[in-house]
Amino acid sequence: MRKFLRYTTIIVVLMATLAPVYWLITISFKREVDQFAVPPKWFSFSPTLEHYLDAFVTRSFGGYLMNSFIVAICSTFCALVLGTLAGYSLARFRLPRNLDRQLALWILSTRMFPAIVTAVPLFLIMRDLRLVNTRLSLVIVYTAFNLPFVVWMMRGFFAEIPRDLEEAAMVDGDSRLGALRRVVLPLAAPGLAATAVFCLIVSWNEFLFALVLTQTDAAMTLPVGIAGRVTQYGIKWGVMSAAAVVAMAPILAFAMSVQKYLVRGLSLGAVKG
Amino acid sequence: MSISLHNLTKSFGSNRVVDDLSLQIDDGEFVVLLGPSGCGKTTTLRMIAGLEQATTGDISIDGARVNDVPPQHRDVAMVFQSYALYPHMTVAANIGYPLRVRKMDRHQITEQIQRTATMLEITALLDRRPRELSGGERQRVALARAIVRHPKAFLMDEPLSNLDAKLRLQTRGELKHLQRQLGTTTVYVTHDQAEAMTLGHRVAVMNQGRLQQFDTPLMIYNQPANRFVAGFVGSPTMNFLEGEVDVANRRFVSRQIALSLNDSQLEALQQVETKRVTLGIRPEHLSVSLEPRAGSHPASVYVTELMGSETFVILQLEKTKLVARAPGDFRADTDSQAWLEFDMTKAHWFDEAGMRRDMV
Repeated sequence: MRKFLRYTTIIVVLMATLAPVYWLITISFKREVDQFAVPPKWFSFSPTLEHYLDAFVTRSFGGYLMNSFIVAICSTFCALVLGTLAGYSLARFRLPRNLDRQLALWILSTRMFPAIVTAVPLFLIMRDLRLVNTRLSLVIVYTAFNLPFVVWMMRGFFAEIPRDLEEAAMVDGDSRLGALRRVVLPLAAPGLAATAVFCLIVSWNEFLFALVLTQTDAAMTLPVGIAGRVTQYGIKWGVMSAAAVVAMAPILAFAMSVQKYLVRGLSLGAVKG
Repeated sequence: MSISLHNLTKSFGSNRVVDDLSLQIDDGEFVVLLGPSGCGKTTTLRMIAGLEQATTGDISIDGARVNDVPPQHRDVAMVFQSYALYPHMTVAANIGYPLRVRKMDRHQITEQIQRTATMLEITALLDRRPRELSGGERQRVALARAIVRHPKAFLMDEPLSNLDAKLRLQTRGELKHLQRQLGTTTVYVTHDQAEAMTLGHRVAVMNQGRLQQFDTPLMIYNQPANRFVAGFVGSPTMNFLEGEVDVANRRFVSRQIALSLNDSQLEALQQVETKRVTLGIRPEHLSVSLEPRAGSHPASVYVTELMGSETFVILQLEKTKLVARAPGDFRADTDSQAWLEFDMTKAHWFDEAGMRRDMV
């Protein structure tokens, strides 16, 4: 009976979470007449690739996909490099008057106000720097946005690693940066991987800043591109669904491939090795 | 290579951890820093390694001041209490690490790893990772990593404290043999007085950040500079009796007992202004018998502890407990009467400030 309840619950939850995804995927393969059929055609429809061809060959979704890739990877990379160094410093060095603690809190506080309040000033800054409609603007904004998260995550992971190890490395003849690279970072790798996944997901899905800072195909990312198919003349359900499926696929594949690290990274410190 | 510390002081905030420490460690010497926890011995070692900055004072290695030299350029090797083996590397990679960061040739590194591993009998472990090793094996790997690059000096921070008692004794002997064989200057930190006595050419006893005495183990044992050293070194601990010098009757009088003094003792103790002194006497200089003898004092047996080759007899004299060493076959019941003899030629005298006063 317990088993039955447990599986029923799991099935209900899975249906609730996966039904929209299923709907999205099927729409992307349905012809327009099938999309609005009443009663809905759940399984029996003749699949078509016309929306994918429309999105990625006729329209410029290929370019949006490329923009999303470049922006997500570059901003994650920058945030990881800067955030790791900052997190390490905050974990290891003490400043007078507890300034290191306050600095860490101050860094975190930048994530506490709603993102929208920075949208207007950021747009003005980017306009004056002539960076509107460039991928660089998004890389800069996403890096800044992800940085506090990386700093805090990495600070926690570094704090778990015994100081003795890097001190041993330094006495053994390594510089501090060398010890960080050869001893500390390999040990923090699961944490680094988990942090990277979150940064990638955040950057990949980000909508607000991309909407404000990009208006042309030169820098537009997938989320903005998809939303842009809702026009005053009509809503291109098929194209939007096809693009959304393509937007979902890489992040899903990536998250699954690093799942092992993700779990280990998040539970690091809970169990001492 | 010689190491010298000159008026070294280290403060954390207002807390002075090492206070005006001066030590001259000679080339090839094995020096033990001994003291209770919190006495500043580990901080001193870390300052020599370059992991802590001295607040004031100088550290010199081979005559060159190294205060501002970072640890990686001091060319000293350190064995940590936790061993600090790199968990993500094999034993071979751990041992080879100091050579790798020095960009040594790959073949030479392999050769050096082999040579060192052979010396420490850990060749079978080279492909394993630290977490697969026992405590004793980890300790050897940490040692191998220290000696593989022929550093100017070894710094060891309680390297035996994580081993079980039997292995600790065995490793202690091996460590001493290895140091004498290599002839590398070594600074060794411990709170265990037995380790200090057995390992060191010289022992520096520290307490509350201050150097108490720096001398050979024998001198530290036989002529402790003050009451702290006298009480810290030796097991069981030295017995102390507080009392006064009765110059007229050539006696030392405490609440529990009166003991007569010889000429040189009297002369030395006369110079103590207050006449208040503490008598210190080691357990082996107290002899216990079950029958009274000339000059023996009555005491009651509190308890006896058989150690095998000898027995520690704890005696009660008024409210003070004294420990005496007796032969292994000594038997006495609790609360039975016993007779105590003091070997006064081996007595130590300390004034109220705790300083040794029997030297004229």
